[in-house]
Amino acid sequence: MSLKFGVLGLLKGEPLHGYEVKNRFEAMLGGTWEVNIGQIYTTLQRLERDGLVRPIGRRGDRGKLQYELSPEGHRALDHWLAQPDSGPQQLHEDIYVKLLLATRIANGNLQQLLGRQKRAYLQRLRDLNRLEERARRDGRVDLARLVRGALLHTEADLKWMDELSSERFGAEEGARTE
Amino acid sequence: MRAIFIKALADLRRRRLQATVIFLTVLFAMAAGTTAVTLMSQTRDPYQVAFEKQRGAHLQVAFRPNTDPQLIQGTAATIGASAYGGPYPASNIQFRFGDRKFYVDAVGRDNPGGAVEVLNITSGRWPVANDEIVLTRSFSELNKISVGDRLKVTSVAQTPTLTVVGEVVDIDEGSADLSSQRAWMLPAALPALSTPDSSFYLMDYRFPSDPTGPQLQTSLGLLKTSLPPGSVAGALTYLLIGSIFNITNQILTGVLVAFSVFALAATVAIVATLVTGIVISAYREIGIMRAVGFTPYQVVQVFALQIVMPALAACLVGVTAGTLASQPLLANSSHALGLAYRPTFSIGLDLLLFAGGILVVAVAATVPALRAGMLKPIVAITKASAPRGSGGRMLRHAAARLRLPRPVVLGIGDAFARPLRAALTLITVLLGVATVVVAVGLPRSFELINNSETGAGKYQVVVTRSSAYPDSDVMRVLNAQPETARVVASGGQNVIVPGVGDPVNTRLFRGDSSRLGYMVVAGRWYSAPGEVVAPAALMHDAHLKIGDSFTGTANGQPLQLRLVGETYDINNLGHSLFMDIATMASVTPAVEPFLYDVTLAPGSDVSAYVRRVAAVEPDLLDVRASDTSTIAPVKIIDLVLLILAGVLALIGVGGVFNTVLLNTRERIHDTATLKALGMSPRQVIVMVGASAGLLALVGGLVAMPLGLSLHHVLNDVISNSAGNETPPVAYAVFNAYELVLIPLLGVGVAIAAALIPGRWAARTNVVEVLHAE
Amino acid sequence: MDGRTFFRAFRGGGGGKNGMSELVRLTEVTKVYQGGITGALNGVSLLVEKGEFTAIMGPSGSGKSTLLNLVAGLDRPTSGSVAVGGMDLGKLGEAGLARFRRDNIGFVFQFFYLLPNLTSLENVLIPAQLKGSEATARARELLGQLGIQDIADRFPARLSGGQQQRVAIARALINSPTLLLADEPTGALDTHTGDQVMELLGKLNRDGQTILLVTHDAKLATRHAARVISVMDGKIVDDARLESPERAASEVIRVRSEEASR
Repeated sequence: MSLKFGVLGLLKGEPLHGYEVKNRFEAMLGGTWEVNIGQIYTTLQRLERDGLVRPIGRRGDRGKLQYELSPEGHRALDHWLAQPDSGPQQLHEDIYVKLLLATRIANGNLQQLLGRQKRAYLQRLRDLNRLEERARRDGRVDLARLVRGALLHTEADLKWMDELSSERFGAEEGARTE
Repeated sequence: MRAIFIKALADLRRRRLQATVIFLTVLFAMAAGTTAVTLMSQTRDPYQVAFEKQRGAHLQVAFRPNTDPQLIQGTAATIGASAYGGPYPASNIQFRFGDRKFYVDAVGRDNPGGAVEVLNITSGRWPVANDEIVLTRSFSELNKISVGDRLKVTSVAQTPTLTVVGEVVDIDEGSADLSSQRAWMLPAALPALSTPDSSFYLMDYRFPSDPTGPQLQTSLGLLKTSLPPGSVAGALTYLLIGSIFNITNQILTGVLVAFSVFALAATVAIVATLVTGIVISAYREIGIMRAVGFTPYQVVQVFALQIVMPALAACLVGVTAGTLASQPLLANSSHALGLAYRPTFSIGLDLLLFAGGILVVAVAATVPALRAGMLKPIVAITKASAPRGSGGRMLRHAAARLRLPRPVVLGIGDAFARPLRAALTLITVLLGVATVVVAVGLPRSFELINNSETGAGKYQVVVTRSSAYPDSDVMRVLNAQPETARVVASGGQNVIVPGVGDPVNTRLFRGDSSRLGYMVVAGRWYSAPGEVVAPAALMHDAHLKIGDSFTGTANGQPLQLRLVGETYDINNLGHSLFMDIATMASVTPAVEPFLYDVTLAPGSDVSAYVRRVAAVEPDLLDVRASDTSTIAPVKIIDLVLLILAGVLALIGVGGVFNTVLLNTRERIHDTATLKALGMSPRQVIVMVGASAGLLALVGGLVAMPLGLSLHHVLNDVISNSAGNETPPVAYAVFNAYELVLIPLLGVGVAIAAALIPGRWAARTNVVEVLHAE
Repeated sequence: MDGRTFFRAFRGGGGGKNGMSELVRLTEVTKVYQGGITGALNGVSLLVEKGEFTAIMGPSGSGKSTLLNLVAGLDRPTSGSVAVGGMDLGKLGEAGLARFRRDNIGFVFQFFYLLPNLTSLENVLIPAQLKGSEATARARELLGQLGIQDIADRFPARLSGGQQQRVAIARALINSPTLLLADEPTGALDTHTGDQVMELLGKLNRDGQTILLVTHDAKLATRHAARVISVMDGKIVDDARLESPERAASEVIRVRSEEASR
């Protein structure tokens, strides 16, 4: 959903070509999200179809076509920004599934799994620390904030690892009660 | 109320060391104070009490033996006396006991009772036979004579022997170490012991109310004019006897009261310091107390109670101890008075002292505790600890500039970190050191004066001749001894000085009297006939200045005299004159010396000399080694001073200890930090010791001038009460080393006391302290 | 052996920044506390090399501060041995430990622990003065390096938390310690100030200072430390050496939407 609204948001300021949209989107995310130009055009077409954006000027030359927000587009963007993220908690990483499986199939290896994961999280924390440092050095406060969020998430993950490794029988019981 | 008690008790258990400090200081202060007050109340006017009980004589007059007893009896009505005793026949007799000889005025009296001068028989009984005699207890004790002893009268040719059958206390004469004494016999026994020039009549008078000095002089004048001229030989007033009695007690009580006030002031300072310290250390606790519902008033109560509870115990013990301690002193003063001693104390007074002590401590505790009560709970809770004292910066910088080691510099800064506490501590040190200075100096001043009175180091042997043995024989005997280096002979004569009521006791010297040790307060010693020296009281009463000339009268004959110096003499309360015997050359009958102060060659055997000279004429010569020992009242004052100095010094040490303990506890966090930074245990002890040492040093330095001026003042008070001015040498009894040593000693003791908190701080577990945050 | 002379020799002959010489060695260290005080250690062995920035991480009561205190010689192990620079601390008396600390250890505390009645400069000078040396020039230089030269004559009560901790760091560095110990140095600071203090520690380490940092905060532990030791219930449960290559942002974070991943 957010690519759609990301494009809408970028168009709110001024009309942009498709390439301009791609470049600005990537710059905004500081390299944390790479999109290809096809995705951008597809998104713009969908938005035009739904009446949220409209092209300015002559049709035909795709690359040169500028888009601007329609009044509905403005409304949809404002509504989206005002809406809190209230969907289900998103757990993308494989560790969640690995944890469940390790509990089931390989009891003895759970600690090792947790230990290795913990180190990975520590390394990630270090990397995030450096990233945040870099963002601040570059004057990208917005990006530093994003990294900060990631840092805190990872810290929570690390705490979760510690908690899991300190409750010794937790894993077995978890398996039985399922 | 229950909550307050429980909390205060719990705190007390936790603060045992503080409680101990309070207990001890209050105990010492209360004991000293109770002793002083008990003494003061019981001896406030001891003479007056005894005087009433024994129906003492306001006026005693001696009449020449040729006066008609009927006429003498009539004088009582003439001068308006409400009661009288006598006239008693009396005679000055000399008797020998062992190898010593004594003079007493033997008075003929049927019984010890009567309307005036009741004699209190303390042992034995009244004489029933002509060879029995009763002595004063004061005299018996001083000369170690007891009932049953036999005395050989040497002043009459028959030399009869008398048996001592009793001892009495007589209120109408001074104690034996300060004045001549009477003895009593049956009137019928007297004629055999009298010679024409030794006998007289004695008459006691008592007035409806206590007369003043001028009133007594008026009465005496009236009495003289009602009799043939020359009938009155001498007179003695109760005022003079009273002042003789009271000197020692006045001095003793004055000294005690002054130093009890010191002790109490020091205690107040310590209590205030302690409570302030407890409040500071309990900052957060106070907030919690307030938060759980203690009112400000109750908070104050909790803190005041913690102090009052140990103080209560201390007052209880202290008042009891003080009352008990005053008993031997009272017994002693009873002896000085010649009074019967009974355990004397007043429950009411003790209760009053007890309540007073508690009150003072409670007030000293409550005032700083108010700070705890005022504290806003939220401030107290959120601030982990009270604001730390941050005074002493300038001192620290000064110390740093002196390039002192860092621990010393830090310690010096800590000493004055809390200026109020430091000031209170200085007070305790100040009082302690000042008292020590006085206790060191005063006995020396006493000794100097005592030596001048007893001629210590100046002459070793005193010879007294009886009238039957002529002066020239005595001189011959003395000059025949190879050890005799110098003899100064002296005699006595009463001289009437214009402006002075009583005849002035005058000592007349033949020989170099300037080498007898008399002290010259101002001017110089006499050097020619006609020149005299006198103590302050006589100079004052006669309005004489050094250099003044005046005309005295001896035996009704005029004497031209010039005052050239002021001397020191407590014997007659400063009413005496000293001059060369040649001054009296024109006076008839000629005065003959009867007393010989003999200076022996260095290294001579004094007792062999005494034995040899006494053996020449055992009945007619009294030869004894000069008694240079200190008189009993001075010994008591010295002892009391020593005890007081000990108590106040202890309180001073307690004050320093207390402050260093509080400072150390409050700063334990900083100390732990310093240890973490690498301060060694030894450096910690040095730091704490430096802090204590500085307090003691500053207190000691300030105390020296205070102690010296106190010594000065006390000397003056004591000299003045005996009718004298302090001789300059009695002030200058300290040497430079001592003036440095006393404060340094204080510093040493303070540092030693600081070792306890110092070692505690040095042993502090850094981890525990820093993690208790 | 006298600790002081030993350490002079040690410092003089020690390896350079890149030399991998051993600095701290804990062997089977156990610390038992009576009265249920938490923070006991149970058979901990550890080796720290010169120039390392090591973080000791663990929840409160895990024993991480105890470990630091043992290395500082503030506490003694119940059993096992602690050696710093080859010197067995167990062989030193109280005075020896004090000398050891002031010559070799710089300690930075969570609550700064500046002496309230001394100015910043005087606080910094204390460890030098306890040795008997004056180091005013060096103290001023340190304050300058830490950006607080202008508060040299102020008292701690008039300093912000960040300034106080900088003063404390200067104090820890005054004797050029072989080892800098920091116990939750940012624990009493706000995030921003804490970041600055951590930055400072990172810079010190880059300049060659060996640092042992104790924290419960993983973000802080991983910030500069190349080695993160996890302590739990008195035991070392993990000893991670972290890499620090330059990574592209996309290798570290990826913002994705469901739509895009579809």
